[in-house]
Amino acid sequence: MRNEFILLSILAATAFPAGATLGGSTESVVTDQSKIHAKRAVVERQNYTVHEMTGDDGTVIREYVTPGGKVFGVSWTGPTIPDLTQLLGAYNTEFQAAMRAKRGRRSSAAVHNPDLVVESSGHMRAFRGRAYLNSMLPSGVAEDVVQ
Amino acid sequence: MRPVHWRDLAAAAVTAVLLTSLAACSGGSSSRSSTTGVTTTTPLPVNNVQPVLMDYGPIVNGQYVGFNNTLYTTVIICVLVTIACQSIDHVLVDTGSTGLRIPASLVTLSLPYMTDTSNNPIGNCVQYADTTYQWGPLVKVDVQMAGEVASSVPIQIVGPTNFIAAPSLCTSGGTPAQTVAAMGANGILGVGLFRQDCGSACAAAAPPAIYFTCPGSVCAAASVPLASQLQNPVWMFPQDNNGLAIVLPQVGAGGSVSLSGSMIFGVGTQSDNSLGGAQAQGADSDGNFTTTFNGKSYSSFIDSGSSGYFFLDSTTTGLPNCASNGDASGFYCPASPVAFTAINSGPNPRGTGVPVSINNAFSIANALPLIDSSFVVFNNLGGPSTAAFDWGIPFFLGRTVFVGIEGQSSPAGTGPYWAY
Repeated sequence: MRNEFILLSILAATAFPAGATLGGSTESVVTDQSKIHAKRAVVERQNYTVHEMTGDDGTVIREYVTPGGKVFGVSWTGPTIPDLTQLLGAYNTEFQAAMRAKRGRRSSAAVHNPDLVVESSGHMRAFRGRAYLNSMLPSGVAEDVVQ
Repeated sequence: MRPVHWRDLAAAAVTAVLLTSLAACSGGSSSRSSTTGVTTTTPLPVNNVQPVLMDYGPIVNGQYVGFNNTLYTTVIICVLVTIACQSIDHVLVDTGSTGLRIPASLVTLSLPYMTDTSNNPIGNCVQYADTTYQWGPLVKVDVQMAGEVASSVPIQIVGPTNFIAAPSLCTSGGTPAQTVAAMGANGILGVGLFRQDCGSACAAAAPPAIYFTCPGSVCAAASVPLASQLQNPVWMFPQDNNGLAIVLPQVGAGGSVSLSGSMIFGVGTQSDNSLGGAQAQGADSDGNFTTTFNGKSYSSFIDSGSSGYFFLDSTTTGLPNCASNGDASGFYCPASPVAFTAINSGPNPRGTGVPVSINNAFSIANALPLIDSSFVVFNNLGGPSTAAFDWGIPFFLGRTVFVGIEGQSSPAGTGPYWAY
């Protein structure tokens, strides 16, 4: 546990209005929380904030937010894959197009475009994945914080 | 795909299966022994060796549509009310999932969709790591492989046109893999570590994207009792039901055009499925164990449904990624083969409290010339999988891998475990 970890709050799930996701504003985080009926924890770290939501089925979704309030990364672990249309927003189209270009194998997903990176792995009952935008990484923050 | 009626089943083994299953209804196929007043019934041994193969896969419109490094078998499904059966070849053998899934276009049997207690159809969703998915209703069939018969097994019919469209929770923005060409197979036979696809999580609650109740044109996430979930057919066999072994020969570094092997049912139940020198290591309730690489530990699993070794990333392994716009995108492309060692460890499934660790040596070659070759079986195909190890098909080549099914006891201990 690193020193800059400060647990700010754990909130019970409530309904919030709709918004956007990866690349979007923090409002989108609470939207996701309401859609997955999750409990939410917010952790402040140096130059970014992590919003962690835990669903009833044990799926954990983390959204990584810049000091300016934009979601620069998301990650997930759990028994199912979360709705990527919701989590990646418009970037899911780019991700899926890249995956369709890789037909003919059964594998983990690894798309490394100039800006968008999406990785997805696992098997029935245990999935994990992450996505981030290179262009939106806060200064001094490495991509490997998105886990 | 050749539909077969029971009268047409000329193969002696298959005929024997039918006769055995019919005889079983009257108890005629069992031997009985009595000791100290307790009568036990032991089924007579049956053929437990099911052929498996790796090749170009099924043919659609005159074209082979199989993927590289795919393990196939032939499954017979039957509806016993009419004693009609059909044989389906090139079904993917997948230790990374549970349950039999057949594209609707291949099913010639007349099979009513399973319903829940409210008489609504049950919809099932399966998602894969590459974000493809399969959606469809459940039906019950008898599943025959080798001389083994699992009776009244819920299976998934994938993508029937007369069923409700996949809910957005299932598609999750992913890509459907619901046709033979999209699957590269005539279905998927999930024979992993678990008895059911979802298990108690779906019996006790309704996770968002697995089981659904479909009262009208809209489906809602629903809980489904264990017995109505998709089942690993192996644990429903009357015997040889504690696991299976996948036995495949090794190939050369350049690969092979095809490969033949066996899937042997049962662990230590007959003379042909003893553990021998194999070591067993337990998996956790999600099916994962630990792989240690260069002193660091990672989450790990064994999956015959994965085309390669998928592990870590270019930075950690030193392996360059293949060009993202080329045929081998998503794989590693080192200039020359690179050898690695990693240690798999898990609890001893006998419950000794002493972890079992097994060293694994493997090699990763340049994926591009392999994928561009006419061969389809490779022991050195690899790609990235961030912070994880996926021991895919190459892991199975040149050895026997035992799958110990959860809750089933065997000489190796109680599943879930792997042994090799």
